[in-house]
Amino acid sequence: MPQVKIIAKNFMDMVASLTARDLDRLYENPFICEAIVRSLPPLAKKYVLQMLYIDGSVPAKMMEEWVLPDGFTKHRVAIDRLVQLRIFSEEKKKEITYRLNSTFQTNLRKHLIYGGALPREPMPPGITARLPSLEELEAYALGQWECFLLQLISSAQAEKPTNFSSSMMKIFQRGLLTQRDKEAPRLTESGFQFLLMDTNAQLWYIVREYISNSQERGVNQADLISFLLELSFHVAGEAYNINTVNDLQRSMIKDFADLGLVKLQQGRKESWFIPTKLATNLSVSLTDSSGRKEGFVVVETNFRMYAYSTSKLHTEILRLFSRVEYQLPNLIVGAITKESLYNAFENGITSEQIISFLQQNAHPRVAEKIPSVPENVCDQIRLWESDLNRVEMTPGYYYDEFPSRDVFEAACDYARDRSGLLWEDSKKMRLVVKAEVHMHMREFLRGQNK
Amino acid sequence: MASAPSKLYSDDVTLVVVLLDTNPFFWSTSSFSFSQFITHVLVFVNAILTMNQLNQVVVIATGYNSCDYIYDSSLASNQSFGNGRMPALCANLLQNLEDFMVKDEQLGKEESEGRITCSLLSGSLSMALCYIQRIFRSGSLHPRPRILCLQGSPDGPEQYVAIMNAIFSAQRSMVPIDSCYIGAQNSAFLQQASYITGGVHHKPQQLDGLFQYLLTIFGTDLHSRNFLQLPKPVGVDFRASCFCHKSTIDMGYICSVCLSIFCKHHKKCSTCGSIFGQAQSDDASATNRKRKTPDL
Repeated sequence: MPQVKIIAKNFMDMVASLTARDLDRLYENPFICEAIVRSLPPLAKKYVLQMLYIDGSVPAKMMEEWVLPDGFTKHRVAIDRLVQLRIFSEEKKKEITYRLNSTFQTNLRKHLIYGGALPREPMPPGITARLPSLEELEAYALGQWECFLLQLISSAQAEKPTNFSSSMMKIFQRGLLTQRDKEAPRLTESGFQFLLMDTNAQLWYIVREYISNSQERGVNQADLISFLLELSFHVAGEAYNINTVNDLQRSMIKDFADLGLVKLQQGRKESWFIPTKLATNLSVSLTDSSGRKEGFVVVETNFRMYAYSTSKLHTEILRLFSRVEYQLPNLIVGAITKESLYNAFENGITSEQIISFLQQNAHPRVAEKIPSVPENVCDQIRLWESDLNRVEMTPGYYYDEFPSRDVFEAACDYARDRSGLLWEDSKKMRLVVKAEVHMHMREFLRGQNK
Repeated sequence: MASAPSKLYSDDVTLVVVLLDTNPFFWSTSSFSFSQFITHVLVFVNAILTMNQLNQVVVIATGYNSCDYIYDSSLASNQSFGNGRMPALCANLLQNLEDFMVKDEQLGKEESEGRITCSLLSGSLSMALCYIQRIFRSGSLHPRPRILCLQGSPDGPEQYVAIMNAIFSAQRSMVPIDSCYIGAQNSAFLQQASYITGGVHHKPQQLDGLFQYLLTIFGTDLHSRNFLQLPKPVGVDFRASCFCHKSTIDMGYICSVCLSIFCKHHKKCSTCGSIFGQAQSDDASATNRKRKTPDL
């Protein structure tokens, strides 16, 4: 399995890593309390609500009685999460007890009794000019996002550059691209993995980078997170007056517009922002709820590939592992060749990633078939990859000239115990051990010599 | 990263259909007032909606002459949001509830003098199941549905057949019926409903804490139920009602053809028309179609 560090499952891991002071401040905002409740594991949500009207603290023993024996691990996960987010505070006197964070408790109670209001009132339709329909808005959001991605992977390709400064862009690219001197930047393994993720997951990754970078620009992370979450509680497609946000948030909104989270519009006097689906989906903890995009790739048994797409981004992705032969207005025709794949492997892309990309983006017509990508193509891709891996390299150390057979044998056993023995020749008393065992081995042999 | 196309959202997305008992005959005698009850229920509905953005709640009022949908969170979400003090959910629901109560009372007047004291549970159960069926068929993704009956008035034995049919269709479509009984005696129908469909039945001891009961027991989503301790049925009242006089019986007669239940011996089954032989007659066993089983 390739490294998975790039997949930010959701935002809450990040929230959990905030400092205690920031977290406490975050809970002063009722929307954040709500968003955080929603992001918890099901059992944890249940506990929060169950504790909502208990003012005292509850012993851990008692909580354990709530669960069936089967659910004990889930119970632990839930409790750990709650403690980590400082929603539960742990008290150790005679026994461990838990108590709900009081700010959090009050805010959530208020929310339950008075219902969820909206963070700010949408503008009355009289003032705003024609608002885009939801479909238009979604098309806009996806277009904007794609444009951003394209700029991300190859800056030269973008038609209209976004407002992100090049240093900002560099930060986004960090980890996704590598640049050897004087060469054009190339996608790394995680970069390719990034491109394979669905839009929502990609968005999280970028947002996470954006936030973790914010401190360098002197913006408090908690402020950013709180505004992002607040944004996700707005109604998609409604217009909100830009004067209702402060200066810091206004600059964020400009950045978000580049990502397609909001659309900015200007009327005669006022200007306003319209949150898109991308923004309102942010607080949903399930990353796959955005709905899978329709696939577009058809792979034939003769290794030819037809991609029904007008998107430049798709062309760029396909170019990573195939030879694009010609491009028609709505169709990209390419071939998967040994050379093109070797190129991809050299960049750290694995065969499994390529195959799963082809499968996930299979055109609806072929997606119904099983397998959606012809077997011979899949097998060949794997074979070509394993061709490259015929030789396995393990750094090692070579030992010879042992003083006696006993010492040699003891050394062999010693290495074997540490599963570091690579090769031995008992006749000539020679052996090779893994590099990481070398230090121990030297110590061991020194001890033997005495 | 592989994702199998599933018809369900992730684990805990739920659709709860709440059946509210609005029977004025019951509430006028109860020590727990209707307005208190509604307050608890409203907060509970809010809590369910808070737990997940995709959760959905439908409220159906069960009157003594009719029943009707009074709230659907999937419709209300985009509407205007209240007038200052009251949130949209409450305002919307209470307005509809009031309209419903007035209409229900008028229907009662048109009919003969109110001899009915039980509410139309069979009707609201059927409406809930219809709604759930529509959800099942509507789109690719749907939440996991369950029904919650908040019932106070006593069982109406004349609804026995209709309620049992509803229960079995719920069982077939794997929809658990949870029931919370707030009246004085326990309800046999609801015990059976929850038992058969795998839901939870509970009769709160202290109605002042209704909200905590609702949240702790009935707020548990179907996924978490695998891990949590929930009240188990102590003893389920399995008694049936006879088809002829609609009274609850311990022992009776069953039609061997259609399984209709009678409290007395009849010559002919009133449901399917089969002719029964004499009790204890020897020639009855000769012909298979005529037989009577004194058993239940």
